[in-house]
Amino acid sequence: MTQVESEETKSFYADKLKRATHLLLFRRGKMPGAKEWELKEKVGKNYKQVLDQLNQMLGELDLEIKKVTDAPTGDVVEEGRAREEEETRYYVTLKGTLGLKEAKMIGWRIDNLAALGGAVAYLISKQGKAPREDVEKVLAYKFGRWKAATLVDIFMRTGYLEEDDAGVMSIGWRTNSEVDLRALMTKMAETKL
Amino acid sequence: MTETAKAEKSKSGRKLLAAGRRELREIIETCDAIEERKFNPFFLDVNLGVETLREYFPHWQGFQDHCLDAHAINRLSEVVRLQNTQLKFQSTALYAEPEFISKKIERMSEKRLAEVFLQSWHPVTELEQLTQETVSASLDYWNFLLPIQERWKRREYERGKAPSSADNSVLDGLGIHGKEFAEQMNGLCNEMKQAYEMEQKPIEYWSFVRRANHQDTVQRAYFVSFLVTYGYAKLHTEGELMTLVPNDQPTNKTPQGGISFPIPIPIPKENGTQ
Repeated sequence: MTQVESEETKSFYADKLKRATHLLLFRRGKMPGAKEWELKEKVGKNYKQVLDQLNQMLGELDLEIKKVTDAPTGDVVEEGRAREEEETRYYVTLKGTLGLKEAKMIGWRIDNLAALGGAVAYLISKQGKAPREDVEKVLAYKFGRWKAATLVDIFMRTGYLEEDDAGVMSIGWRTNSEVDLRALMTKMAETKL
Repeated sequence: MTETAKAEKSKSGRKLLAAGRRELREIIETCDAIEERKFNPFFLDVNLGVETLREYFPHWQGFQDHCLDAHAINRLSEVVRLQNTQLKFQSTALYAEPEFISKKIERMSEKRLAEVFLQSWHPVTELEQLTQETVSASLDYWNFLLPIQERWKRREYERGKAPSSADNSVLDGLGIHGKEFAEQMNGLCNEMKQAYEMEQKPIEYWSFVRRANHQDTVQRAYFVSFLVTYGYAKLHTEGELMTLVPNDQPTNKTPQGGISFPIPIPIPKENGTQ
């Protein structure tokens, strides 16, 4: 009897795991990942247990599930505050990090990565918001004025940076999902010149 | 109280109100700049701002002034919120001086900067696939796409006649070269002078240039452009109105500081409209 029950539970979880994997990995709209309510609706009330199980399995493949709450204001300092009323998304991200060669293989140029790192670090030092001219000025010193403007446009298009009507730049949804801001700032501070 | 004293008091009251409004607007502008991250939130002395509001508050009379006062209070409260955020931010591990970070970015090599970023970057994993929307968009594109031969044909039609050189005989035939050209230009110059003497006011460009025949209109516009270029006439523009004034003493040289001013001539349709 106990064995039958355990097999039933196993198949029940296997089905839910598949559904959660599909939701998290296959892109359906403009943004990847799945919203909390989608998972609740399609996986069930115990979706958190299912995600924990899936996270363990993905961990073996150097992947992990990340929970990101959209920050509409872009204020970095308010990151830890609970925002039940706001949108929460779950993504599958790389658990470890990539090397320079691997980053090149997936289509990233070194100077683009350097510019993105610089722009994000500068924005964090300004509490997540800065006028676009300031961001471009910081990048222009290294990459030139025209390239800096082009790179900022690219980062905005890909969701790493955002700009409001007043020309104030902030950190985009993609940076919040993909970049460990604390690690970035620590590394920046630790780097010897 | 005498009339003079009353007038003096009213004048000083108006001055005070004007000064107060100016100061409040300055406070609001500074607060807005702080909100747009142009300045540090501690750049503004909030206490001084509140004192200023308190100083002018008893003098406000109109609704607009009270609105300005309320708006200034609102902006100041936003700055206080930002100051609070700044203090919290400084106590977190993320805090670093913007100047320090800017200097680091300037001095670090691109490779090192990329490596630092890669150590904190965990890209999102996702799979892209065909969706119902993309399939339907692709089908629409395919259905509207003409065969390649038809598309090439269309391009050939668009290709105009290649430019070629014209010798004097061709230009003579077109009436834009030689003796005939100079005569026609002089004729038009005289016509313009006569029209100006008769009306005693600048001649409207289009009434002078436009004729029933489109070819004549183009030819007159062409000659007028020469008259203006060589100083036989002056072209004045005022909004959409363009006027011509003949010059009594033409220099026969292109005027200094002149600008190229293209005037498109509308092509009439067959039914007479343009």
